Amino acid sequence: MSGGSAALYTFVGYIMAVFVLAWLANRLLKQRSFLSEYFLGSRSLGVVAFALTFAATSASGGSFTGFPSKIYSHGWVLALWIGSYMVVPICMMGLIGKRINQVARIAGSITVPDVLRDRFQSPAFGLLATALIVFFMAFNLVAQCKAGSLILKTLLSGVELFHQTAFSLGEMVGGHGYFSGVDPEYLFCLLVFGVVVVVYTAYGGFHAVVWTDVMQGVVMVVGVVIMLPLALNQVGGLERATQQMARMLPPERGTATLRLEPGADEDYAVPVGTWLRSGVRVLRTAGPVVIPAGGEVREVAVLEIATPEEVERLLGENERFVAHAALRVSGIETKPYVYGSEAPGAYVSGPGPSRDAADGFLPLSLAVSFFFMWAIAGTGQPSNFVRLMAFNRARTLRFSICTVVVHYSLIYFPLIIIFCCARILLPGMEAESDRIMPAMVVFLTDNAGVAWLGGLLVAAPFAAVMSTVDSFLLMIASALVRDVYQRNLRPDVSEAQIRRLSYLCTVCIGVGAVVASVNPPQFLQDIIVYTGSGLAACFLGPVVFALYWPRATAGGCMMGMVGGFLAHLGLYAAGAGVKGSFFVPLRVLNMDPILWGLGVSFAASYLGGRLVGEVDEKLVQKFFYAR
Amino acid sequence: MDKEQPKYHPTFLHTRREALIIVAVYVLALLWAVPYCYFKGYALDPAELRVVWGVPAWVFWGIGVPWMLANIFTIWFCGFYMEDDDLGEGDTV
Repeated sequence: MSGGSAALYTFVGYIMAVFVLAWLANRLLKQRSFLSEYFLGSRSLGVVAFALTFAATSASGGSFTGFPSKIYSHGWVLALWIGSYMVVPICMMGLIGKRINQVARIAGSITVPDVLRDRFQSPAFGLLATALIVFFMAFNLVAQCKAGSLILKTLLSGVELFHQTAFSLGEMVGGHGYFSGVDPEYLFCLLVFGVVVVVYTAYGGFHAVVWTDVMQGVVMVVGVVIMLPLALNQVGGLERATQQMARMLPPERGTATLRLEPGADEDYAVPVGTWLRSGVRVLRTAGPVVIPAGGEVREVAVLEIATPEEVERLLGENERFVAHAALRVSGIETKPYVYGSEAPGAYVSGPGPSRDAADGFLPLSLAVSFFFMWAIAGTGQPSNFVRLMAFNRARTLRFSICTVVVHYSLIYFPLIIIFCCARILLPGMEAESDRIMPAMVVFLTDNAGVAWLGGLLVAAPFAAVMSTVDSFLLMIASALVRDVYQRNLRPDVSEAQIRRLSYLCTVCIGVGAVVASVNPPQFLQDIIVYTGSGLAACFLGPVVFALYWPRATAGGCMMGMVGGFLAHLGLYAAGAGVKGSFFVPLRVLNMDPILWGLGVSFAASYLGGRLVGEVDEKLVQKFFYAR
Repeated sequence: MDKEQPKYHPTFLHTRREALIIVAVYVLALLWAVPYCYFKGYALDPAELRVVWGVPAWVFWGIGVPWMLANIFTIWFCGFYMEDDDLGEGDTV
């Protein structure tokens, strides 16, 4: 079986399994109280379901696209970048898990805004939390939809049926204003991705999301566990790979002129990643370009391999250089990396090579910021709070944390090893490093003679992004149906109406996200980082004080929430003013805005609790004292 | 006779104590991993690179070992220390 058809079969089988799970979940919906079951799974999750839904939702598409790309581009220092994952499970699940579950049960809360509203009997606090969740998650949903579509496009590339269908779709909608200029293959993948996620999420609710998460969590682990020995075997052992990395220099980026000799009588399309040589220099194109017959194109983006032993090895591999015989390269102008190109060693030491930062990829201050980012900001995600409200008993939480520990250890450290090996096995991928995961999968499975396995392995990142999107979709729907409509506008709404409204709302939000993703904003990873860290800056402080400090007040926690939001947003807005881009935030003392946002939020929640509002002794009695 | 003083719910007391221990473990992990990697692994001369099982020694001792210890601690903490508290209505204990 070829890699392309294997991917198609895997994908179809995967989608069928997802729909079966949604159908089973819908049967549960008919047997239980609708709202609690649809948005919270009736607080009945056991160990496997709870652990894997938690792990899968936390591991967004970034774990399998952005993270491998960073390992490939910056080397072993990514072990420190991701280092706080050693304590992520115990922090994210153990810090507030049991307590938020208990408070939600005492209050009968179904959503995160519910918990905050009920803890202080403050509808205003509930609405503020709802507004912030909808604001951040709507942006994140669009970014994740784009990520999912791009991953699906990679998964199906090479499948003839896919290319034909996408081409037909492009012919149909290409001329219409909103769709003009949209890549038809991306559009087709977006439609498939959107329809699948919206249908199974809307139809099956929380349990469908959880059960698909379980399947997706298993796919992720299996993918990594199979790739690790294949990579180590093909690179000739990890020690050999590390020693080779120690002798590497980062590639140089620049431009070159590509010319077709007069003998060529047709235009020639040069795909991205084409290997070229000019004397003893080895280059790779960093973007696609079409060379007219007998003509030339100047300033074609290229990447030049800079490590002498690698250049020597590549020059000996004639089968790499398959470009047109009449193609000539001249006028090469390249620039070395700002950090790491002076001497070998940058890929095996900190702060790691960097194209544009003079202090390297991960200076000390950023290493500290990222140690906070994963463990502490991860603890502050409302999508994680919801799951912590859904387990059935304390024993489930205890065993689930142990399960997630094993799950993360089997994924994150092995990923570092696999993609350090990728530096040796697949040189010159810096220009398209976001594709390193599928490229590595195809390379490893083809070399091992198991191309059919490729489809399964490439499904891992797709699974990761699906499990994130479905959770966000349900959170926004619950915020609108439960927190805005039922609790503020129509408290007496019937269960049948709530059921219809929940289905309708989930579908509408999903369709809205897909439509917005047709022309998504750029800076995909930046949007995900901004929204994730922003949610933590808003929610972690107020939630911790609400759960653990009897003297906390609604006014104080709202101050903490608004303070965290403004401090975080302010640093991004200042970045737009000072550095010219919203997504290059101002880093005061070289620390990420998340640290300042969290600091302001915790301080404001505490000081606000001391200064603003009265403590309601009845509520303290209800939530803190034994009855 | 004096009225009996109300007592904090045991679940609240347990979760607060456990949360403080988790914060302490997080700080310990931070204080081990970041300074160790910084002093042993930054701006390293490749001629001085030592490897342990193929992993640069600074990654092995700065990240790999504490990661393993954190896993052992977490499994002990959750398996033997964390309380099986009553979570309230609907708890299926």
